[in-house]
Amino acid sequence: MLWTYLIIAAVAVVVLLILFRMVWRVAEPNEALIISGLGAHSSSEQVNETLGFKIVVGRGTAVLPGFQTVRRLPLDIRATPLTVTCVSSQGIPLHIKGVTAYKVGDDYGSIANAARRFLEQSDEQVMSTIHELFAGHLRAIVGSTTVEEMLHDRETLTTNIRGSLAGDMEKLGLVVDSLQIQEIDDESGYIKNLGRPQAAAVEAAARIAQAERDREATEREQAAAAKKAAAVRESSIAQAGYQAEVDQAKSKASQSGPLAEALARQEVVVAETETAKLNASLAEKQLESTVLKPADAEAYKQRTLAQAARDAQIAAAEAQAREVALRGEAQAKATELTGKAEAAAVQAKAMAEAAGIKARAEALATNTDAVVAQQLAEAYPEIVAAAASSFEKVGNMVVLNGAQGIEDTLVKTITMGGSGFALAKQLIDSLATKKDDEKPTLESVADESA
Amino acid sequence: MVGKRGRVIGRIAPGIVGEVMLPVRGATEAFYAYPATDEVLEVGTQIVVVEFDPPRTVYVARAL
Repeated sequence: MLWTYLIIAAVAVVVLLILFRMVWRVAEPNEALIISGLGAHSSSEQVNETLGFKIVVGRGTAVLPGFQTVRRLPLDIRATPLTVTCVSSQGIPLHIKGVTAYKVGDDYGSIANAARRFLEQSDEQVMSTIHELFAGHLRAIVGSTTVEEMLHDRETLTTNIRGSLAGDMEKLGLVVDSLQIQEIDDESGYIKNLGRPQAAAVEAAARIAQAERDREATEREQAAAAKKAAAVRESSIAQAGYQAEVDQAKSKASQSGPLAEALARQEVVVAETETAKLNASLAEKQLESTVLKPADAEAYKQRTLAQAARDAQIAAAEAQAREVALRGEAQAKATELTGKAEAAAVQAKAMAEAAGIKARAEALATNTDAVVAQQLAEAYPEIVAAAASSFEKVGNMVVLNGAQGIEDTLVKTITMGGSGFALAKQLIDSLATKKDDEKPTLESVADESA
Repeated sequence: MVGKRGRVIGRIAPGIVGEVMLPVRGATEAFYAYPATDEVLEVGTQIVVVEFDPPRTVYVARAL
């Protein structure tokens, strides 16, 4: 019995579950349930009037089968590609490719509008309708926009799109998430030409920049090359200088050998000189010791001896002088005595001669030539001797004319010059002094002269 | 809706349709927007909704 109740209860639960499953409908987050039929009236605060159907979003609701119908309206996004041929506001024909992303609005008004328009349509129909709609709008948008705005002024483009679409989208209950122009094909080449000045300007700027950079680079290169050349020059100069120094040092070094050699040789010479000097001094010393000293000793000895001799001689001389003086004194006394005697004799003689001379003078005064001739005759041998004395210095004398020649020579000798008389007198006087000497005979004179 | 604050995402000026982003139903949605006065509201300006025109249009003023 209990089992029966339990089974009945379980069956009832199962039935209830099945019924509940049949009745209860849940709206997915991306869809809205549109329920129409018995008692399905929305009392939205946003809409004053009743919709005539109930919109359920994001929750579950009981749907009475047979009394109510439920439709699902997808709320997710849809994308539609757009391709239109249109004309811009400047009248330029364009092929536009775009894409639009749209969805049913999430508010009840939009859902209601969309439900009324698209609920029973297939996706293709919806897409086709939307595509046509958007294409028309896009044409209108492009027609009110310039190509430049389409290309550059996105704000203006979107503003135009909104301005064009806003009303229609509200009618359809759609929200346009995005409308993008993807491609603009331009048959007339307007866009290309539009870009040309810019491209040309850019190209010109690029060329100018390139040329300037090239110039700058060239300048820099040239400056660098000049600097390099200067550096090379300086380096060369420095290297040459260093090379010169090196050469100088090398030459100095190469000279230093001979120089050192010469110096060494000089030193050797100096040393040799010193040695020679030493040798010389040694020799000198040796000579001094061997020769000079003995010589000095000898000289000293000689000098001493000489001095002694001189002293002895002086002493002897002094003694002799003394002796002579004494003798002289004695002799002087004797002479004085004899002199007095002689003087008396001479006086007597002179007195006699004076008488003679007086007589001769008287005779000369009376007969001069005879006296002279007599005197000459008296003194003839002395005269001849005196004349012959002039031939003493003659080594060899040839006398021509024999004895006659001798006589002539003699006569000439005797009578030579203008002073024959004076000479004769001189001869006579000299002969008078040499009366005591032996007179050479005429024959001997003749022999000598022969 | 009235009193909600939002941000301009499409230039709002007299004679053109602007767009604002508003926090609605726990998310953010874009609404068509017109200026409540004759002022111009550039993109990024903070606004406040002064009037709501269902389903998707609002009149906005600059938020103070």
